[in-house]
Formats: sequence, C-alpha cells, structure tokens
Amino acid sequence: MLKKRHLLIAITMALAIVMSGCSLPGLSGAADNTIKVGTMGTSESQIMGNIVRLMIEHYSDAKVEMVNNLGSSIVQHQAMMNGDIDISATRYTGTDLAGALAMDPVKDPEEALKIVKREFQKQFDQTWFDSYGFANSYAFTVTRELAEKENLNKVSDLEPLVSDLKLGVDNAWLKRKGDGYEGFVKEYGFEFGKTFPMQIGLVYQAAANGKMDVVLAYTTDGRIAAYDLKVLEDDQHFFPPYDTSAVTRNEVLKAHPELKDILQKLAGTISTEKMQELNYEADGEMKEPSIIAKQFLEEHDYFEDKK
Amino acid sequence: METINDIVYYYSQNAAYVWEQFYRHFLMSAYGVLFAAIIAIPVGILIARYKKLSTWVISLANIIQTIPALAMLAVLMLVMGLGTNTVVFSLFLYSLLPIIKNTYTGIRNVDHALLESGKAMGMTKFQVLRMVELPMAMSVIMAGLRTALVITIGIATIGTFIGAGGLGDVILRGTNVTDGTPIILAGAIPTALMAVIADVVMGWLERKLSPIKKRKAGQLKEQAA
Repeated sequence: MLKKRHLLIAITMALAIVMSGCSLPGLSGAADNTIKVGTMGTSESQIMGNIVRLMIEHYSDAKVEMVNNLGSSIVQHQAMMNGDIDISATRYTGTDLAGALAMDPVKDPEEALKIVKREFQKQFDQTWFDSYGFANSYAFTVTRELAEKENLNKVSDLEPLVSDLKLGVDNAWLKRKGDGYEGFVKEYGFEFGKTFPMQIGLVYQAAANGKMDVVLAYTTDGRIAAYDLKVLEDDQHFFPPYDTSAVTRNEVLKAHPELKDILQKLAGTISTEKMQELNYEADGEMKEPSIIAKQFLEEHDYFEDKK
Repeated sequence: METINDIVYYYSQNAAYVWEQFYRHFLMSAYGVLFAAIIAIPVGILIARYKKLSTWVISLANIIQTIPALAMLAVLMLVMGLGTNTVVFSLFLYSLLPIIKNTYTGIRNVDHALLESGKAMGMTKFQVLRMVELPMAMSVIMAGLRTALVITIGIATIGTFIGAGGLGDVILRGTNVTDGTPIILAGAIPTALMAVIADVVMGWLERKLSPIKKRKAGQLKEQAA
C-alpha cells in the first residue's frame, strides 16, 4: 500500500512537471516564445498589464500571456524571481523600496527611482523601466468647491482652517508609524479638528457628500475625477513617492531585445489624471481593462511616432 | 431591474473580452476532461478485468475528489507554477473519478451471455472488448464524461486565483470594483449556462450512443449480422 502510494505520488509529480512544460493549442502555455505579464487585482494594474501586452503584440511577433490577480507587489516579486512571470506591469517605487528591497523610504521621486533601478539590477538581475508618468500615492483631497472658496492648492494651505475640518482616512493610516498621521503632524506641524477612520473605498463619497471636509485618497482612483474632487499638493514631500513602472527580468530582455524599446515608448505617456480617467472607466463604467487598454492605445496610435 | 440593464450594458461594452474568456474557460475544462479520458478509460477497462485492483484505484480517485479545489490548486501551484497548465492539470485530476468509475461499471455490467456468445463466435479478447463490451458500455462511459465536464466547468472558475484567466476573471473583477454586482453576475451567468449546455449536449450524445435505442432501430440489421 505504502509503495503504491509513493508510486502514485511520483507519477503525479512527473506528469505535473511534464505538463507544466507543454503548451496546449488554444491556450498559450509555457512555450519558450511566450512572454508572461503579471498584474495585480486592481483595475490600474490590469489596465497597464494589458497596455504592455498590446504594445508587445503590436511591435513584435512574441506571444504574450497575462497572469492576472497576483495578490500584491511582494507576490509579483516572488513570481518574477521564480520565473513564473517575465514582466510585472505595475511596480511602485515606494512600495518596493520598503518591500522587496527592505530599505528606508526616500522622499525624492527621482532619487527613489534611481535607487530601485540600481538595486534591482544588482540584487535581482531585473530591469526597472522609467515611470509611466503617474504615481499612485496617498493624497489629501477636498471638494473643488471648498478648494475654490478657500483658495486651497497645497496641503500647507489647510493650516489656517484646520481646527474646523473633519478628516476622513483609511483605518490603517491613523496608527501607522513613519508615514502615518503621527508623522504627518510632526512634518506639517498641525492637527485636524476631528479624524474619522473609515474604509478607503468610502472616503471619496464621503468627501463628495460633504460628510467630510478633507479625505486621504489614492491619487489615481477614478472617483477623484468622477466626484470632481481636488488633490492638494504634498508640498513638504511627506509621502514617499509611488511612481509606477514596468519591471522585467533581464533574461527576457536578452531573449527579446526589442522589448526594451517597446516598453521605453510607454515612459511618461500616462499622467496621474489620465490614469484616474482610465481607472474610472473600469470602476465606474464597467469596462474591462483589456478593452480600455486597447482603446487607449488606438487613440494614441500605439505611440508609433515616439522614438 | 437596474441590475439587468447594467449586465446588458456590461456585455455591450465588453463583448469581445467576455467571449474570449468564455472560450478560454471552456477549453481549460475540455482539455482537463480529454486528458482524463485518455488515462481513465483504459484504467477503467483494466480494473474491470482485474477486480483486485479496482478497490485501490477507485478509492485513490475518491481521495483525489475529496481535496478542496482551492487547496489542490495551491499545492499544484507550488510544483507547476502559475498559469493555465496548472488549472488544466487539476481539472484532469478531478475528472478521473467519474470517468474511471463509470467505465468500470459500464464494462462490468455487460451481459455475460453476450460475452460468452462473442467468445463462442471465435472472437479474440480484444475483439470482444472492441465489438461487444465498449459499444455496450459506451453510454455509461459518456455519462461519466458528462459528469466530469460539468464538474470541471465549475472548478475552472477558481483558476483565476493563479492567473489562468477564464470567466473567473470576470467574477473576481466584480468583487474588486465599487459596485460590482452586475459584473459578478455577468461572469457567473455564462459559467452556469456553459455547464447547462455541456450537460444537455453530452446527455444527447449519451442517448445517441445508448445500445438499447440502437437495438430498437437497427434490431433486424443487428440480428442479421
């Protein structure tokens, strides 16, 4: 009995390994010519993943397969290290400085990008590309009405009114060390009249309804545009930068030398406002990321005229 | 009512995408069942011959069937990595039991008088299998494939968690957006529909292949032969 079970396990494993190497017609499998693009579960990540996929398909003959819904940046990183994916579509400088590299946060966006580029090359044999042009960071956000009435542009502009303001924030942020509320008070030197911890998804509506005066939002969330909210500039550079880039394994760049130019074409093409719009199409108008990506690229003619 | 409108709207926006995922979903399930059939039908025939083996094989297939799908995928992912092949392989494993069991039952239940008369006509063992046992057991084997296909269509949905795509992707996206009910339904309805259609089509095939019906229609012919 025991032997038989061992045999069965051995056969199953052998079959599994054989099968993981073959590709099925109709379902592109792990063929050598396939480039695998990994994305997270967020709309933003999936839109960017599909943009990367369509760009590669447009400019080269390589087959591209999507690996969607990876849990987090760390999961993406592990999948890259295992070779399960070749490109991760959205990686954020601030997240990976703290996560994969376990380094202290760096406030200057360019400096942060330089560090992750250097360290990923050195430590993981991976290439970190230039930013797409948008950053998904925390940002203090108010209604446009309030911004116009009080002439608010920067976070520092809030100081004179702050004792009357209600702040709606993400649960975790209030107690977080480093770039949490405590750190904020130290950096900017003022405290809000009242703080209301809530789920991050609710803050946009709360601001739009006037239940909250100021909320801490994600900068690329489509609801900022949809509810006509205004993001205040983080003039003291309190939040670490979360510029977004694609990351690839060097092995794949060697096998597909054209990839480098293709991905480079995307650098600086999508502003934070544009990303808000694209995200809103996904979250608010129920379009699928692959459709949004296609429309976006067709609108810009696949950046043919960019060098 | 508004939800229905939203679903219709969703389809109108994303028809190409949904169709792609539908096709992908079906292919994953079909491949799983196909590979399982290649292995499981011969195994079923074998254990019908050697009865001692049957208890072991069937209880092993039973054990595989009891493993929760998510756990199975997670374990297989560690060996095979992310992607479609891992899902196809786990669907293969889940298809084994219904196919093996039905093949076994189908072959065992062939009337002994028929086997004897085959032998008496001078058929070899292989001829008996090909000309008597398999045709007689075919509808039961098809019933096994039918069960397997319906099971795999359901399980393929969670393939989305290891990046395999399929209609599970649509459902999972519905859980990620602000008001996702229509998107969740837009993914779940085609999945259920696919299972129902697969069941109906396979059921029709099963009846087509049933020897009892054939006897009624072609009774004279068969007797003459």
